[in-house]
Amino acid sequence: MAIRLLAAALFGGMLAGSGLAAEPARAPTAKSPAPPGPPRVSVTLLSEVASIEPGSSFWVGIHQRIAPGWHTYWTNPGDSGEPPTVDWALPAGWQAGPLVFPQPERLPIGPLMGFGYTNEVVLLTRLTAPEGLTAGTTIRLGGHAAWLVCEKICIPEEAEVTLALPVVAGKPVAGAGAAAIEQARRAVPSPSPWPASFRATPEAVTVSVTAPGLEPDRIAEVWFFPGRWGVIDHAAVQEVTIDRAGITLRAKRGLLPTATDSDLDGVLVIRERLDQGQVSQAFAIKAVAGSASAGPSLSLVAALGLALAGGLILNLMPCVLPVLSIKALALVRHAEASPGVVRRHGLAYTAGVLVCFAVVAGALLALRAGGAQIGWGFQLQSPLVVTALAYVLFTLALSLSGLLAIGGRLTGVGQGLAARPGYAGSFFTGALATVAATPCTAPFMGAAVGYALTQPPAAALAVFEALGLGLALPFLALSLVPAWRRLLPRPGPWMKRLSQALAFPLYASVAWLVWVVSRQAGPDGVALVLVGLLLIAFGAWLHHAARGAAPRWRRAATGFALASVAAAVALAPLAAASLPPAPTAGAPAGAAWEPYSPGRLAELRMQGKPVFVNFTAAWCITCLVNERVALRSPAVTEAFARKGVVYLKADWTNRSAEIASVLGSFGRSGVPLYVVYPARVGQAAAPEPRVLPQILTESTILEAIDKERL
Amino acid sequence: MSPALLTRRSFLARTGTGLVLAGTTSALLPARPAWAAPAKVGEPAPGFTVNATTGSPVSLASYKGKIVVLEWTNHDCPYVRKHYETGNMQGLQRDATGQGVVWLTVISSSEGTQGYVTPPQADELTTSRKAAPTAVLLDTKGVAGKLYGATNTPHMYVVDKAGTLVYAGAIDDRPTSRRADVQGANNYVRAALEAVTAGQPVKTPVTRAYGCTVKYS
Repeated sequence: MAIRLLAAALFGGMLAGSGLAAEPARAPTAKSPAPPGPPRVSVTLLSEVASIEPGSSFWVGIHQRIAPGWHTYWTNPGDSGEPPTVDWALPAGWQAGPLVFPQPERLPIGPLMGFGYTNEVVLLTRLTAPEGLTAGTTIRLGGHAAWLVCEKICIPEEAEVTLALPVVAGKPVAGAGAAAIEQARRAVPSPSPWPASFRATPEAVTVSVTAPGLEPDRIAEVWFFPGRWGVIDHAAVQEVTIDRAGITLRAKRGLLPTATDSDLDGVLVIRERLDQGQVSQAFAIKAVAGSASAGPSLSLVAALGLALAGGLILNLMPCVLPVLSIKALALVRHAEASPGVVRRHGLAYTAGVLVCFAVVAGALLALRAGGAQIGWGFQLQSPLVVTALAYVLFTLALSLSGLLAIGGRLTGVGQGLAARPGYAGSFFTGALATVAATPCTAPFMGAAVGYALTQPPAAALAVFEALGLGLALPFLALSLVPAWRRLLPRPGPWMKRLSQALAFPLYASVAWLVWVVSRQAGPDGVALVLVGLLLIAFGAWLHHAARGAAPRWRRAATGFALASVAAAVALAPLAAASLPPAPTAGAPAGAAWEPYSPGRLAELRMQGKPVFVNFTAAWCITCLVNERVALRSPAVTEAFARKGVVYLKADWTNRSAEIASVLGSFGRSGVPLYVVYPARVGQAAAPEPRVLPQILTESTILEAIDKERL
Repeated sequence: MSPALLTRRSFLARTGTGLVLAGTTSALLPARPAWAAPAKVGEPAPGFTVNATTGSPVSLASYKGKIVVLEWTNHDCPYVRKHYETGNMQGLQRDATGQGVVWLTVISSSEGTQGYVTPPQADELTTSRKAAPTAVLLDTKGVAGKLYGATNTPHMYVVDKAGTLVYAGAIDDRPTSRRADVQGANNYVRAALEAVTAGQPVKTPVTRAYGCTVKYS
């Protein structure tokens, strides 16, 4: 309330010294008989500008000064009362926007609760002047204001408000009401930067606001003002829980059974303790129906099933394809061996996948438990991991190209172990497959992983292991069932050709990873990584060239090769530490998309525009494929333009708690995620956002867009 | 204006420890007495016995088998006056009671608050305003009002012949005190009465009541 008192002092001083052209408020008119006495509220019309520039828009405010002990009402007046209204009577060509209300106060009245204002308030309206005004003339702006003012009893009051302003070409100077209007605008709830959802039972409504990073100890109080009557009991206790995930607020359900059928809008006021006192902030939130804090509604069994299916499909995803080639060759190579050996290779491979999944998932869960807002694929948000992966895949590619003999000892650790003919080789092939698979999200996987991350660790690990089992399953099945192996071709010279050919998907992966580094560590990082790759290639060549040489030369070459690889490894942290490119102010010129921000999304939705949000990351191959195949197609671009769909791109290449929390609100923890936010129709509540499949096709998008009513 | 903010200690004492597991838990309790769960539409209308202006007690139960309208009122409230000074409320009362509907006007203003009237004053208001209720009940202690969760004047309820609450809320869809708004408004009570009389479900069973706060003590 400190702000309000301050505002009161400001207003008082300002009005006393200003020659504002506003008529004093009139007492209630004869039409509405009221108890005798002066009006309980005096109103004046304030303007933020001292003159009118033709064609411009500016704020005006209805300043209510309310007698002590009395109050006026907010848009949702609470259990009784009525919001104020203004009927503008403006000259021809003028336009007035809706009344904009500053954040309300709670007004307990016996067992009831009202929402409104005491002392004073400025209700804002944006006026737009027509172009054709003549400079030098004076314009009278005004209207009929009506409001209900209550103490114990209620009195409807009304008054004409007017304001005369000169028309002056050029930028106007601040009007006498500028400070008061600015103060009021700061008290208007801002669009919430956080997604919100709610869950309703017959007894209670629980609103969850995903606001990670709030310091619970600093929050003095939280109150939710519902935008409509009947949703929650206005006077009921609001049980507030603040934790790392955000704010959860539970209140007794209101009387209107249909109130929870649509989105729940309202104002969340958070009062925070700061070193120099308390500050109160109001956020306009729109809670979507669904999982308030309960996580996505999947059963564990369903999640396990989805994870297994997702893991299976992962074998076919572009990022796993290179490693699949290693597996394919290994299987053919092992085909001659006895069934027992093959079976053990299959089991070793599966173990490698499962152990690696357990390690990655364990790290993910541990970091999340520590409060980090990360999700699946988080490893690739570290340029160091990306660089390491590039080195490993490059070494593997060199090996397949024939530059390193299979079984060579000086190759990169992953490749060396993966290529080793023993069971350890199979184990590490599995591990490598897992590491390479992490940037990919296969269909079904998103929901399963999203579910896993809301579960206790044991259930979460089970889901991740099911995913790993799915990834390992094709190879495992082939190794366990001899009959299926007979379908494989016999080994022969073709294997060498195939292996050389399969090196190219690996080189392609390396190229992609280098591009990822370019997004994370900028051109300097790329240069260092490329030098590292060069050193690895040089080391490999030295090693290869010295194979037939005398032992003395071979030792020297080996030494140089080792030094070369060591230098490459040493470069990796340097590359990772390079500065990322300066963030560009917006999308590249001519791009069909804008960068995503929660504020921008809220703004567009408030303007009633349909929005398509593409949650993506440079290290997510699936995302890039979708963009190329579907999102950038001329038909989609044309459909977006035709339907007025605004395309926002949320880039998760680098860590962002903001984006992670939005993904979380859709029950996801990784990209890609595609969401269509349909436009609001008229004054109706905005429809719920729709999630599109993770494998996008042109027709999927066109169909989703066509469902948009515009 | 700020409602009583309970300290964390007192809140925890009240709710036990179930909420302290995650982060900080705090709650704001507005200064209000416990209000038992008010009557719900679709459920049996809670029974009450309140003295009428005649001095004799009136029980809702005694009207079983009849349609009953409950009208919370306060003759000084601008929103009540809107409907009485235009004859809107009296017309509805006459039409309803003419069809055998029981109309109980309830005044829950406690003694010393606006709208509180003695039995003779209440009867005088009925006469001077040409009102036509079956009875006027003086719910000075707010017992019936709190049982129904009556928040506003006017606040309207309709109970069907089986004793089920079938409508709760406003008299119409124009939440203003302007007399001119009576014309052309959609009268929810009239619609509810027509529906129950015809044995049909009420189309709009719950609405936000509008008007002045009921002046409970």
